[in-house]
Amino acid sequence: MRLNDLLRISVRQVFRHRRRYWGVVLAIALGVAGFITVVTMGSDVKKNFNQKLDLIGGVTIIRAYFDSEQDRTARRLWFQPRTVAALQNLPGVQEASLVGFRPVGAVRHKQQHHFMAVAVDENFWSVRSFWARHGALFSREAVLHRERVCALGSSLARKIYGHDQVAGLSLEIEHDNYLVTGVVGGLADSGLADFAFVPLTTAQDRFTGQTLADRVYVRCRTWDDVAAVAEAIPKTVQAHQGADHLMVHVSWDALRHVQKVAFWLEFLVYLGVFATLTLGGVGIWVVMMAAVRSRTREIGLKKAMGAEDRDILAQFLTESLCLSLGSALLGIGLGRLLVEGTSGWIGIRPSEELFLTCLGLGLLFALAAGVGAGLYPSVQASRMEVVAATRYE
Amino acid sequence: MNSPTPKVSGRIPLIEAVGLTKHFGADGSVIPVLRDVSLKVYPGEMVAVTGPSGSGKSTLLYILGLLLKPTSGIYRLGGDDVLGLDRTGQADCRRRRLGFVFQSCDLMENSNVFENLEFPLIYAGVSRAERQPRVVAAMERVNLGHRLYHQANLLSGGERQRVAVARALVNRPQVILADEPTGQLDRQNSHMIMDHFEEIVGNGDTAVVVVTHDPDIARRCGRICPMEDGVLHGV
Ligand SMILES: Nc1ncnc2c1ncn2[C@@H]1O[C@H](COP(=O)(O)OP(=O)(O)O)[C@@H](O)[C@H]1O
Ligand SMILES: [Mg+2]
Repeated sequence: MRLNDLLRISVRQVFRHRRRYWGVVLAIALGVAGFITVVTMGSDVKKNFNQKLDLIGGVTIIRAYFDSEQDRTARRLWFQPRTVAALQNLPGVQEASLVGFRPVGAVRHKQQHHFMAVAVDENFWSVRSFWARHGALFSREAVLHRERVCALGSSLARKIYGHDQVAGLSLEIEHDNYLVTGVVGGLADSGLADFAFVPLTTAQDRFTGQTLADRVYVRCRTWDDVAAVAEAIPKTVQAHQGADHLMVHVSWDALRHVQKVAFWLEFLVYLGVFATLTLGGVGIWVVMMAAVRSRTREIGLKKAMGAEDRDILAQFLTESLCLSLGSALLGIGLGRLLVEGTSGWIGIRPSEELFLTCLGLGLLFALAAGVGAGLYPSVQASRMEVVAATRYE
Repeated sequence: MNSPTPKVSGRIPLIEAVGLTKHFGADGSVIPVLRDVSLKVYPGEMVAVTGPSGSGKSTLLYILGLLLKPTSGIYRLGGDDVLGLDRTGQADCRRRRLGFVFQSCDLMENSNVFENLEFPLIYAGVSRAERQPRVVAAMERVNLGHRLYHQANLLSGGERQRVAVARALVNRPQVILADEPTGQLDRQNSHMIMDHFEEIVGNGDTAVVVVTHDPDIARRCGRICPMEDGVLHGV
């Protein structure tokens, strides 16, 4: 039997019996599409989740600070720039931000206000994922150029101005006039809504006395990096300036919770994909067995017309392969759509190489399923005695 | 029996069966279905096998069609011992030398007429270009040239049976074995089938064996062999 005849007849056969096969086609197509999407986009989606700090409760942020309060005799300690630079370069660290706290007084319409000023460096907003609820957050340049600008927590803004539409207004802090750039959003659980934010450089220049940058926020790339980074921080600080009184704080409970949820989510997704693929594989076997049983008449007839055992074997095997490979191709198309969709949604381009690898694996799976599940029924079909097949259906 | 047999002495019989027996049933229970059946059929001959239902006519035809192995006996097709062939050899024999018409006029139901006739040609390795004229010729032989692309399950009973005959013809076999080809047909259609068979044996190198229990049909054959309880008479 020629290959093109074999293919033509098998495809025709599968197509004509499509109602018997659509369940299997669906299972394999969905399984392959799921597999491709999960493997191609999984790490990017995870990365994306790690960027959504509010979603994961900020568990990727580690706070490190010098606590010299207990030891009154000790010198007040702060982080030196080279230490911060070293922390930035730790593996698993996305960014670090240097911060100091200082109580300040402010005057507005002759009214005195006392609150805590947070003196922040240029990375602060992005490390903490804060955003402007109103107006804008002061820029990198404002920090580098030591500008007199500030951003307010919303409840502080209301306390001073009676409302929080304060962008563009001015505020006298420690006898200097500051331009209010906006109101900070995303502070809900941070306890910072009553605080004002000023550039660290400006604070160190202008505020009387010292504004000690004794606090560092280290943001890890993913929740899986947190433990290692938390362990590395004291060593790094020790290596650069000494780590006496250094406190490192991680929200371990929240972190474990997030990791647990992420693990189960991932597990369930993989399980789903695995189950669907298994269903498809078993499905082909069942469908081909049923086909052989219900088509004994056809098999006998073909043998009477002179088909050899291997013609029958080849036909059923090819049908099985058409089914599995066709379904896989459908799944690959669907997977591509899903990958495009997800990458559009999270704004990260997937690795084309990874996609192609998955595509290959999907086809390989289909090939294995087609041959593996189709072989036994096909051999059975080919061994069938002609008369048994034509007479007793 | 009634009409003169056109056999030419000295020629090799196309079918030569000697002492064929067939038993069904495993171990203890043995049901003898054919008992010592011998038969010679020469080229150009049309032989009718008649007999009551259950007498073993289909079984004999299946054995002659290499669709069933006899329990014992010798079967030569055109002088070749075909029972000694392996499965592949027998398949080759089926597609090149034998044409079979089943009792139930089996067609591939979800295929059209052309596709039905194409299968034997595909299995015989006939090139695609050559298939079309061969199919058309076979269909014209049974006067159904206009039904080439009809769906098999939409044909009438007579047409189906004629398509089944055309399919048995398409590989130009030496022997055509037809199991009650007119069983489900009216008189007119039955005789039309027999006309086709007569035309086929008319060329002198093909033989036809027809199983039937219709005496009218049997009379049209050159020789009638009645079968009774597994024994073939009138050979
Ligand atoms: N595969 C089989 N197993 C057991 N008995 C069979 C089988 N095939 C045929 N028979 C029996 O052999 C006898 C002859 O059958 P068959 O050749 O079909 O008769 P006919 O065609 O003359 O009506 C019947 O009694 C039938 O039941
Ligand atoms: Mg019968």
